[in-house]
Amino acid sequence: MTEPRQQSGNEFNEAEAIERAKHGDAEAFHALYDKHKRRVYSLCLRMTANTAEAEDLAQEAFLQLYRKIATFRGESAFSTWLHRLSVNVVLMHLRKKSLPVVSLEETTQSTEEDSPRKDFGAEDVSLAGSIDRMQLQRAVDSLPPGYRMIFILHDVEGYEHNEIAKLIGCSIGNSKSQLHKARMKLRDLLRANRAEKAGRSKAG
Amino acid sequence: MNCVELQQSLAEVEDASTEEQRSHLRTCPVCSALVKELNLIVSAAVDLRCADEPSPRVWNSIEAALRREGLIRPSRTSLIPSFSSRWGALAWLVPAVATLLLCFAIYLRHTSPITETARQTFVSTPAVNAADLNDEDLLQEIADNSPAVKTQFEENLRQVNQSIRDAQSWVDESPNDAEARRLLMDAYQQKSMLFDLAMDRSLP
Repeated sequence: MTEPRQQSGNEFNEAEAIERAKHGDAEAFHALYDKHKRRVYSLCLRMTANTAEAEDLAQEAFLQLYRKIATFRGESAFSTWLHRLSVNVVLMHLRKKSLPVVSLEETTQSTEEDSPRKDFGAEDVSLAGSIDRMQLQRAVDSLPPGYRMIFILHDVEGYEHNEIAKLIGCSIGNSKSQLHKARMKLRDLLRANRAEKAGRSKAG
Repeated sequence: MNCVELQQSLAEVEDASTEEQRSHLRTCPVCSALVKELNLIVSAAVDLRCADEPSPRVWNSIEAALRREGLIRPSRTSLIPSFSSRWGALAWLVPAVATLLLCFAIYLRHTSPITETARQTFVSTPAVNAADLNDEDLLQEIADNSPAVKTQFEENLRQVNQSIRDAQSWVDESPNDAEARRLLMDAYQQKSMLFDLAMDRSLP
């Protein structure tokens, strides 16, 4: 899993905060929360596409972290430990909701629908340049849950396919196939969004 | 390799780095655009990692749960013990310092009516900028009369003022939050205890 970029000039010493939190120091708990809250919450929000659920899950992830912090020995990076724990909290929640995490029948066979479209239309709707974050966020939220999960774990959180396969109990090939389809679907959604905007500005 | 084969192969070799893939991409602008757009999506995905901020409700709930479970101790106990615990082997100095402070309090009672009036103002109306009230005067007096404890006292005063500011901002953010109001009261009580330590209020 890719480590989050190290912030330069950290305002607090994380190792010290962890030690203080192990002894129940409220300020240290808050400092750790402040440092990691965005990433944990963003993960929960992207995975569930629901604000209330994401807040509950972020809360649960941090509570589990604080309950277990005395067992943290520092063999792995604290952020890796926390994010893996958060992913497990979310996956557990989705399993309880009986959401299809990944279809085990998925194969790497491409379908006609997935093929590159040469006749997309006369409009130039290529994604050249940059992708607006809000647009991408909306597109990710509208992906089917299985695609969304693999995309977030791999492309957003930086997990490798073998890690994803272990986490959600599918094959590595399945993970690769789902990721590719997720990206293709996102591309379609983003292009459709761009075409719609272009059409509106033409009409206006 | 044709377009469909190229697309199928992207699930396995996503960076299109094999010779077959590259050879097809050189001659096919549609697939070439596809690969570029997929790469664009992948690079934009990282921006979703910390994109969202959880509402203050999340931390409030976490903190309340941690207190219920007894996993964190209130700040009040984290500040005052630190005053004595940091002395370690010099713990014998504490009664000596207490005696000095007692003499200092008597001295203040008889020579500094302005300070006493201000202290009473602080106790009765803590909401009126009490975080900064008389701090300089008090520290100056301690520096003059008990220089040995000045640094420690200054640090405790700084911490308690910080607690007041934090709690006040939380109250400003969530005026109806009972936990926030309680923390603010606790912080003021801590400051009051520090003042009491310097000036024994039980004196006639």
